[in-house]
Amino acid sequence: MEDKTRREKDTIILGVIGSDCHSVGNKILELFFTAEGFKVVNLGVMVSQQEFVNAAIESNAKAILISSLYGHGEIDCQGFRDLCLEKGLDPIILYAGGNLVVGKTPFAVVETKFKKMGFDRVFPPDVDLKKVAEILRQDIKEKFGLDSQKTKPDKYIQTKENL
Amino acid sequence: MKSIISIDIGSTWTKGGLFVLIDSDLQLSKKFAVPTTQDNLVRGFAEVLASLLEKEKLTPLEQMVGKAEVYFSSSAKGGLRIAAIGLVPDLTLQLAKLAAMSAGGKVVRSFSFSLTKSDIAELEKLQPDIVLFSGGTDGGNIKYLLENAYKLEDARLAAPVVYAGNRAVAEEVVEIMKSKEVIVTENLMPEVGQVNIEPAREKIREIFLKRIVNGRGLSEIVELFNTQPKPTPLAVFELVSAIPKFNSDWSDLAAIDIGGATTDFYSNTESFLETDTVVLKGIREPKVKRTVEGDLGMRVSARSLLDTGRIYFEERLKNMDLNLEKMKEFVEKISANTGYLPKNEQEIELDRILAEACVYYSALRHAGGWKETYTPQGKVYVQTGKDLRRVKAVVGSGGFLAAELCGETMRRPLEKLKNFGDEKKLLPENPVFYRDKNYLFPLLGNLVGKYPKEATTLALASLEIISDEGMKK
Repeated sequence: MEDKTRREKDTIILGVIGSDCHSVGNKILELFFTAEGFKVVNLGVMVSQQEFVNAAIESNAKAILISSLYGHGEIDCQGFRDLCLEKGLDPIILYAGGNLVVGKTPFAVVETKFKKMGFDRVFPPDVDLKKVAEILRQDIKEKFGLDSQKTKPDKYIQTKENL
Repeated sequence: MKSIISIDIGSTWTKGGLFVLIDSDLQLSKKFAVPTTQDNLVRGFAEVLASLLEKEKLTPLEQMVGKAEVYFSSSAKGGLRIAAIGLVPDLTLQLAKLAAMSAGGKVVRSFSFSLTKSDIAELEKLQPDIVLFSGGTDGGNIKYLLENAYKLEDARLAAPVVYAGNRAVAEEVVEIMKSKEVIVTENLMPEVGQVNIEPAREKIREIFLKRIVNGRGLSEIVELFNTQPKPTPLAVFELVSAIPKFNSDWSDLAAIDIGGATTDFYSNTESFLETDTVVLKGIREPKVKRTVEGDLGMRVSARSLLDTGRIYFEERLKNMDLNLEKMKEFVEKISANTGYLPKNEQEIELDRILAEACVYYSALRHAGGWKETYTPQGKVYVQTGKDLRRVKAVVGSGGFLAAELCGETMRRPLEKLKNFGDEKKLLPENPVFYRDKNYLFPLLGNLVGKYPKEATTLALASLEIISDEGMKK
């Protein structure tokens, strides 16, 4: 079916990073964000940083939502923002959520750590997903404006001039 | 009874076969080959046809019309040369290369992300037959696509462009590339990880018929005999695709075709077997897959094979009274005279080791692998690429392997490759090796469209099991 409306759904990338095989939460997130009106590209479990970035480039994603359940999230996520910048994904929104570190580190500490690493938002395991979807919509609106293809006219002109 | 002729205009030889069809029984009745006539491909074709029809050598083509059904394929004059453009190397570019190779093309160069000035210069120098232009999922990236469209428009390129990228900007791309012939087809990767190479393959085939055939001076044959040629590798691809459909015992097979200039690897088997302990990364490759290696070949590409295969050769020659120097000498000799056939025991052995290296490196690039990873849930294998473990039969075709009686030539390199670095390569676990003893695969591939059951049955009937004992014969 042809979608006649000009407004396209915002694409977001989901996945569980590193050597983490927890697949149940990942499936729930996929169903939830799809129902919330996002176009979800779910990369599943054991996703490397490079895979997240590759998928985001091809699909022109607005946000990458990274899950980590097994406690090694901190190591797995290190340098993720840098990689995005290297690959030209400058404006992309980065979220991380789950059991991001081992032990009983207070969430505030975890949040600071991940924000320092360049993540826009960090969520604990018990967060209300409805709230996350709402924040995500807000963040996308702020960064990209209402028009989901906002980058198009600028880049277009830029391209012509560059040649 | 019906007489059917199939001719393949190869890069060095034009070979043909006369087949007889009685009811549904297809038999080979005669074969003939001449060196390909590079200045005018039709001359060699006519000579082969005349011989098969038992006519005078210089019988004009018109006088041979209607004597038999005629089918043909061609890989002469460099075959079908395709430049592949994608966005991310592991995703759309990988699919662009797969689509080009499965259409019977040879990827002369591939490009990812933005085309640079030197990329464009290289394209202009290469002047490929077709540019396959892809990138972005549907509704996905447009930045690189539009940028590259402008650059391609300004490039001095005669080739038609097959656009198989993000459909959201397909019309825009056509508009931008006004001076080029742009053929729009479905996206190779409509969603991340979703593989859709058939439509692009079909478009490449159509262009081959419309433009390449003319360019190679083959239109005379097309008109007189009312027959459509195929790129030779596509003929083999179609045969390999059709065999299991009509012969259920042959559900998982692979074929290796080592030629003078390239090595082709074909496989027909499911690329990924889903289990709890294996996770697939990257794209899920198609069931029927062809890869072609332009740096691996027995004669024209012998020098590049020597470079690529240095490590293999060094190890292989270590325990013999041969060494890399002798191999180099031999490679120089055959490169200077590509029609050279080995004259003594030593040269026969060196020739065989060249073939082994072709098998080794073409399999390395065709087959996927597993890496072991430990997770809190236990040991998990991460698979990339295609799993060939269930392949039961490996067929050797092409001038060298069709005549090779020694199973070792394929077995040894495949055994050696099973562990490559920290990766377990997913190669056929316990295959039977065959040779295409009359070298019929390309010829029967031409017939498989019209006579699928008959052609595949004859293809299997002309296979011969080769064992390691063969060497002693």
